[in-house]
Amino acid sequence: MNRSLPVPTAARAPRGEHARGDAASHAGALVRGVVGGTVDYGRRLPAAEAAVAAVDVHRTYRQQASDVQAVRGVSLSVEPGDFLAITGASGSGKSTLLHLLGGLDTPTHGEVFLAGARVRDLSEAELARHRLMKVGFVFQRFHLLSMLSARENVELPLSEAGVPRRERRQRAEWLLERVGLAHRLAHRPGELSGGERQRVAVARALANGPRVLLADEPTGELDRANSAAILELFTSLNADGLALIVATHDMHLAEGAGRCLELVDGRLNG
Amino acid sequence: MGRSFSELLMARGYALRLSPRGTLPLDTRATVRDVEALRASLLSRPGVAGVAPTLAGNLLIPFGDAGADETVRVFALGIDPDEQGVYELLEGRDPQADLEVVIGGELAAAGLTVGDPIRPRRPGTFAPGRAGDAFRVVGIARFLYASSGERPIAMALSELQRLTDRPDAASFLMVRLRPGVVPVDAAERLRTAYPGVEVASVGELVERAEARLSYFRQLALVLGVVSLFVAVLLVGTLMSVAINERYGGIAALRAIGFPRRSLVKALAGEGLVLCAVAGLIGLGLGLVVAQYLNGVLSDFPGLPLAVRFFVLEPGDLATGYLALLIAGLLATLVPAWRAASLDIAQTLHREEP
Repeated sequence: MNRSLPVPTAARAPRGEHARGDAASHAGALVRGVVGGTVDYGRRLPAAEAAVAAVDVHRTYRQQASDVQAVRGVSLSVEPGDFLAITGASGSGKSTLLHLLGGLDTPTHGEVFLAGARVRDLSEAELARHRLMKVGFVFQRFHLLSMLSARENVELPLSEAGVPRRERRQRAEWLLERVGLAHRLAHRPGELSGGERQRVAVARALANGPRVLLADEPTGELDRANSAAILELFTSLNADGLALIVATHDMHLAEGAGRCLELVDGRLNG
Repeated sequence: MGRSFSELLMARGYALRLSPRGTLPLDTRATVRDVEALRASLLSRPGVAGVAPTLAGNLLIPFGDAGADETVRVFALGIDPDEQGVYELLEGRDPQADLEVVIGGELAAAGLTVGDPIRPRRPGTFAPGRAGDAFRVVGIARFLYASSGERPIAMALSELQRLTDRPDAASFLMVRLRPGVVPVDAAERLRTAYPGVEVASVGELVERAEARLSYFRQLALVLGVVSLFVAVLLVGTLMSVAINERYGGIAALRAIGFPRRSLVKALAGEGLVLCAVAGLIGLGLGLVVAQYLNGVLSDFPGLPLAVRFFVLEPGDLATGYLALLIAGLLATLVPAWRAASLDIAQTLHREEP
């Protein structure tokens, strides 16, 4: 059986070439290199070609009459086939950065390129469509619809994308089989364990064949065994060419990623 | 109620009613005098097909064992058996001769049957109407205008006139029109021709009855509007609570690419389903309550049992149901739009630990 995910077939470069975890080393180059949407990495690589790119991104919140700088000058690039873990203490800005990278939030300053588009250029509706088709999200609390079965939950993004009923059913079943839940198709989230729910959430995130999958503390509610299963699943997806960005406290998960960045007070450390 | 009353008044095909000036039929004890002359005159008019003079009065009949002093009050109607609009015969025949009566279901249920004798007399008199004579029951009928607890009987008009000492009088006359004659126009012509009597078409009678019940109509309207308002508040509150509990899920759906429009549509759909189901249950309950109220109101003295105050009108039901659905939809749209417009990142921050 072909276990490869039908994710967009963006060229998958060797992992080593993309392991640009040292943010400080290329942040300046990124800032300098952004000219009309391209980033200079030594060789000219259009930022739009990266799965995700952030260029000198800042995010400041107004909270109780004072400004809180949640993210300060972060620049990074995640290429197709990268597996990036973002770690850091609580309140360090991991989730905020992940939301910025996923187009859920808008930077106060700087630019985010997401799966081939500059986020700032997209209207709200375009951005929603872009996320639907090219980005997958996995949340700590799964956020599955409790009244729908596992298969129906996975079918949701396909339905919104306009995939015909039969095709989306087949694809949902295939995805659930891919994450090891072929026997749980008709079960509702309440009938599944935490690990199984998270695997359903992963299958849902993969429904429309995204270029990048963003996960916010995906193992935060799971025990060690289920966390290991999720890491294994992520590694397998990554091996198929999917770019992954994971914000996590889980050091096992972070170590399993090809690249790890630490956020300290909103800045990339080291 | 209007439709039911109208159907009742037209049950025997009489489109007009003539009653003493300033009254409605059986509103008072007043009578129309010289009724035979009036009848002949009416019948000579080109648009009139038939005239049914009717006299009403209370009589007593001895009841129980022969010779007992116990009497019961009956509501007697004097009619022309060939032209009457007050009963429909169920058994036996019409009273064709003197000393014959048709009785209603109440008396039949009490044991009287065709062939039995009864001796009606006017209240306040001690002897039967005609000494030594007894009336004979010749038929059992359904009296169209009988009210709850009433014991109606019908006899020849001349007999009741004699028994109640009101010669050549009628409480009201019913007029049957020839096909093609417009009742309102005919009523207008009769008003001009007979200024001494009150002329009303069935439509006008229904209007007057409804005018008398306008207070109840207004009350029903106010109750309806209040109910709708409460429904909007209730649906709005229920949906707000239901949606507020799912902010995290809604933000997650927006994060994975569901546009605001889709979510509003889905949430509004939930509200609609809620209203549709609640509306069906409400309609069912409403029908049960209406049935109960019909029973209660029908027991009011003087109101014909056959009148239904709450008639199932499919158009009205559909309008009410539609109004509820629209109200529910509007009540859902506000919380749905608010939820779909939440800042995704902030909501996820708040909802995720």
